[in-house]
Amino acid sequence: MRNPLTILRQRLAAHREVRADGGTATEAGSILDRDSVRSAPFWLPPFLLIGLFIYGAIIWNIVLSLTDFQGLGSPDYSALDIENYVIAFTGGTPSWSSLTVDPVWNAAWNTVVLMVSFSVVCLAVGLVMAILVDQEIRFENTFRTIYLLPMSLSFVVTAKFWLYMYNVETGLVNLILGAVGVGPIEIVQNPDLKLAAVAFALIWQFSGYAMIVYLAGLRAIPTSHFEAARVDGASTIRMYWRVIIPQLRTATVSALVVLTVFSLKAFDFLFSMYGGYQPGPSADILATRMVREAYANGNWAYGSAIAVLLFIMALAIVAPYIYTQYQRGEL
Amino acid sequence: MSEHEPNVSRRTVLTTTSAAAVAGLAGCSGGGGGSDGSGGGNELELLHAWSSGDGNAAIAALIEGFQEEHPDVEFAEEPVDGAARSNLDQVVLNKLQANDPPSTFQTWPGNTLAKFDGAYEDIEDDVWDDDLKENYLAGPQEQAQYNGTYVTVPLNIHRINNLFYNTAVLEEAGVDPESLSSPSDVVDACETIAAETDAVPFAQQTSGSWSTVQLWETILLGQAGIDGYEAFTGGNGDTGAVESALQSVVDLSEYYPSDSSSISFTEANTMVMDGDAAFIHQGDWAAGAYSNADDFSYGDDWGQVTYPGTSGSYLLNMDSFPYLANNPSPEATKQFLSYCGSAEGQVLFNAEKGSIPPRSDADVSSLNTFQQDQFEDFNSADNQPPSVQHGLAVSPGVATNISSAFSGFLEDYDAAATAEALINAFN
Repeated sequence: MRNPLTILRQRLAAHREVRADGGTATEAGSILDRDSVRSAPFWLPPFLLIGLFIYGAIIWNIVLSLTDFQGLGSPDYSALDIENYVIAFTGGTPSWSSLTVDPVWNAAWNTVVLMVSFSVVCLAVGLVMAILVDQEIRFENTFRTIYLLPMSLSFVVTAKFWLYMYNVETGLVNLILGAVGVGPIEIVQNPDLKLAAVAFALIWQFSGYAMIVYLAGLRAIPTSHFEAARVDGASTIRMYWRVIIPQLRTATVSALVVLTVFSLKAFDFLFSMYGGYQPGPSADILATRMVREAYANGNWAYGSAIAVLLFIMALAIVAPYIYTQYQRGEL
Repeated sequence: MSEHEPNVSRRTVLTTTSAAAVAGLAGCSGGGGGSDGSGGGNELELLHAWSSGDGNAAIAALIEGFQEEHPDVEFAEEPVDGAARSNLDQVVLNKLQANDPPSTFQTWPGNTLAKFDGAYEDIEDDVWDDDLKENYLAGPQEQAQYNGTYVTVPLNIHRINNLFYNTAVLEEAGVDPESLSSPSDVVDACETIAAETDAVPFAQQTSGSWSTVQLWETILLGQAGIDGYEAFTGGNGDTGAVESALQSVVDLSEYYPSDSSSISFTEANTMVMDGDAAFIHQGDWAAGAYSNADDFSYGDDWGQVTYPGTSGSYLLNMDSFPYLANNPSPEATKQFLSYCGSAEGQVLFNAEKGSIPPRSDADVSSLNTFQQDQFEDFNSADNQPPSVQHGLAVSPGVATNISSAFSGFLEDYDAAATAEALINAFN
């Protein structure tokens, strides 16, 4: 029950008590003696730097998205309007261009699909692997390392690697499909499979990370919980479902936040897989669209507007989880 | 007193930390601005993306040749790493927005210049003298102008409308490349090759859209002629003509390698060299790989024909060096651009690059046989239309729309829908 208001009230109350007790303390001395002030050298510089370079940049980007900034020169901050957002949602010819601009629905939808499917499947695979590795098997460390290794590769490497894996003639995926009598199937440029293929490759790369996070969570659960569930006669599945998994909430949130961020970075993957920021309509995500508008066309303000939409989407997915965790007092 | 000691020391820490932070920030900004001071006036800041391979050798040869004539000019030459030129454009843009333009940089001429609209300065009086105007053919000369003003100097020409072939494979299939006279003849020849040999008839990569855009624009030029082609690049294209060219690409795609979506241009080109494929349509940089290969010689093992249907046209892809306003080294830059416009400089550059000089009076005897043949074609061409894919014919916004349309085309090969998207790319 750590409601912000309660905390504030408690702090104020505590403060008053201190004042009542310490009759001789002077006002000026107490401000300098405060912990927050005394520790300022440690938290203030990073606070200011993060404030400027992260939150300042976000705010600047939002303001930029309200301008008509395009091409060379500098943005005109005197005439702000939401035209770019109207264009992003409805399409049409904006005042700063002679060309029609398509709305971003397609890219936004692909982004959501990729983000959700990737994060959910990644967590699920990671959880299963963590539970399996946690069974005190032999060579546990070896398995852990093997599962985690793909994450250490860069997106450029994995994209080229999966381009090869998906090869119709020689790729492993099609060889396996061929062995069970299916295929060969065109994957890389197949509008129905493109996005799934990208998500699959990303899951391959990052489920190891989810596994490590879950494994740490599992290790933190006291053995007595497992034993108590056993004594009560719970089956293995029931034990994990009712007793263990509910305790992994914190691990899930921290893994989810990181995975969501990785899925937004799928830009690198698409860029190297399709040799540029044109992955085609069925795999086009907001990040590729944004870079196209900003860097290929020089539509800076419109690119910023897409960046803001991307930011809101990421926030919309992460914020509710963080808020519930906060309310549960687990953050 | 001892109680106050920690306070004092913390305050000292605070002061020191913030002073250090301020100094650090000042150092950053100082570092950014510091490079301006060394500009001098005779140091030429040249930005390009030729950081390796034949491009790097070519720019080195060009600079060496220039410095022999102008030993007083120093170069602050900076290859900007990264595939193609997208990173380079970003670096140039940042410098332009910081009002710190380089002397010159590598760019496609023509409509690509629109990206930095307003950043160029007229060099007709200082560089584009009568000698250049007489010796550049009409097509390249037009591409050197932005809105009718001479702002850049084209340095080389890569041709787009080539059809390269592996001689042995065509002989086995009984196909005579010289006899092909229209884009549909290529499709028929592919059918014969597929029936008569084990080779892939038409090597192509389809993971990225650029090769397909090139192929389509070549076929459009072959089917609709120069007028139809220029109507399209002018934004008044005929949907029927565009669709028919796309349909021809669809027909050809039957003869691509089955794994075309997973391979790169290099792999597709290697298939031709290994005899695993018969034809490849590419810019003449493809020939660079052939000349570097052992036992694969021009005339005997591989050959090139003008893409059937496009004889009389030399479809241009060029690099150029523009003159930027507010130039850090005006005199040296103009001297350098004049040198880029000279036959001597162009021959030095192109001998390494594998392309041909844009000047029709260049002495190409030091270039290889294939380049000499291309140069002869160039000089006898009726017209030199600009390439769509390589940024000459359309402005960057339209080019993005076109490549978007083709990224969709590669998914479903829907000629009608793509034709509509291509026509709408100009609206």
